[in-house]
Amino acid sequence: MGANCECKYLMNKFFSKKISIISFILIPIIFLWHPSWLGFLGVQPYWPLFWLLPWSMMNGSVNGLIYGLFLGLILDSLTLDNSFTQIPGLIFCGFLFGRIKLNSDILVGHFRYGLICSFGSFLCGTLYFLQILFKNFSDSNSLMLIPSVKNILAEVFLTGFFAPFICSQLLRMFKFSRRKL
Amino acid sequence: MLGIRRISTNRWWHKKKNWILFTIFLFLAFVRISKGSFYKDFYYFISKPFWPGKFQKEIILESIDQEYLIKLNLLKKDNLRLRRNLSLQESSNKENISAAVISRKSGSWWRQIILNKGSKDGVKIGDIVIGPGGLLGRVKHTSLFTSSVILITSPESKLGVWVDRIQINGLLVGLGDDYPSLILYSNDADIKVGDFVSSSPASTLLPPNIPIGIVQSIDETLKSKKTAKISLLAKPHVIDWVQIVNVNI
Repeated sequence: MGANCECKYLMNKFFSKKISIISFILIPIIFLWHPSWLGFLGVQPYWPLFWLLPWSMMNGSVNGLIYGLFLGLILDSLTLDNSFTQIPGLIFCGFLFGRIKLNSDILVGHFRYGLICSFGSFLCGTLYFLQILFKNFSDSNSLMLIPSVKNILAEVFLTGFFAPFICSQLLRMFKFSRRKL
Repeated sequence: MLGIRRISTNRWWHKKKNWILFTIFLFLAFVRISKGSFYKDFYYFISKPFWPGKFQKEIILESIDQEYLIKLNLLKKDNLRLRRNLSLQESSNKENISAAVISRKSGSWWRQIILNKGSKDGVKIGDIVIGPGGLLGRVKHTSLFTSSVILITSPESKLGVWVDRIQINGLLVGLGDDYPSLILYSNDADIKVGDFVSSSPASTLLPPNIPIGIVQSIDETLKSKKTAKISLLAKPHVIDWVQIVNVNI
């Protein structure tokens, strides 16, 4: 009985300490899962930003930049587009998010997460779209791609909508795990 | 006075029998003018319980399905024989591999599906994936247990296609939305809304004659080419089971 309790305590301690790593590992799985009931116009929120924002806010720009690169590498390996990459957008967002200071006012903080994530999603989407435009520029097919801008807009809306719920929870969990350390 | 009253009671319109005859005449005239529609409608209601039931309908539909299946197989054999005679491209005769979709990204920029069959089941890079309706995409990566398919709506996808009505080859380009664009490198191509698009016999990536989609709208003509939006026959966002076809081109 005692051993069982101790085992549970150690497990809880492990999970609370490693929550940031565990949530990092879960991002690609959610990215692949792509739950259609959460989508809007068939588009999903840009999941990596929900993790990257609290992580960068806690650990600073350099850490955000590095983990942005890691996330980009993982997500690029999951998608089949060899010509385009998500790395520049995520690196830039990681660096930018690291410059943001934690806000003491909870409500303002909540809404701010939404706005920041929307901006980050717009940045990542635009950088990705520019790569596609650049690749198709030589074939003069770039004009045909204009309607797909709706992907960026839908993604910006959804990311901004979900960010206050997810980011604030993750930030709270990261703070908690750090306090334990 | 009494005499006058007696005369008035003897008028024909005072007799009930005459009115009955007049009514019958009117009814018959209505039947004649309406060409018996009243009778037909009446017959519709009284004969309803004796109509051929659903069971009979199912038997007939099943027979029609079987007939079509037999015809399709005969045509396939004919097609294969003629293609061999003319030394044209042909797809492999191996059994198709059925696979379930375990991950689907059919919106946004990344348009791909992941299937539950991988290299251990004989799936190879370059195999094509078809779903109910027609072509979905091509296998671009395989792991031991899974294979990743790039959809034809992906911005990375470019395929040679064939517009059957005007007998012309075109290029189908994915744009990152649900409607890929067909580019015809001919200014005077007489493409129309509703034209059927299939895989091109000249394509080096796909076997010929795989249904792809229907022309939904035609864009404005550019300098030297015509473009059109294609509505796909196979809907990647709802399909759960697909067939992987081995390609030997």
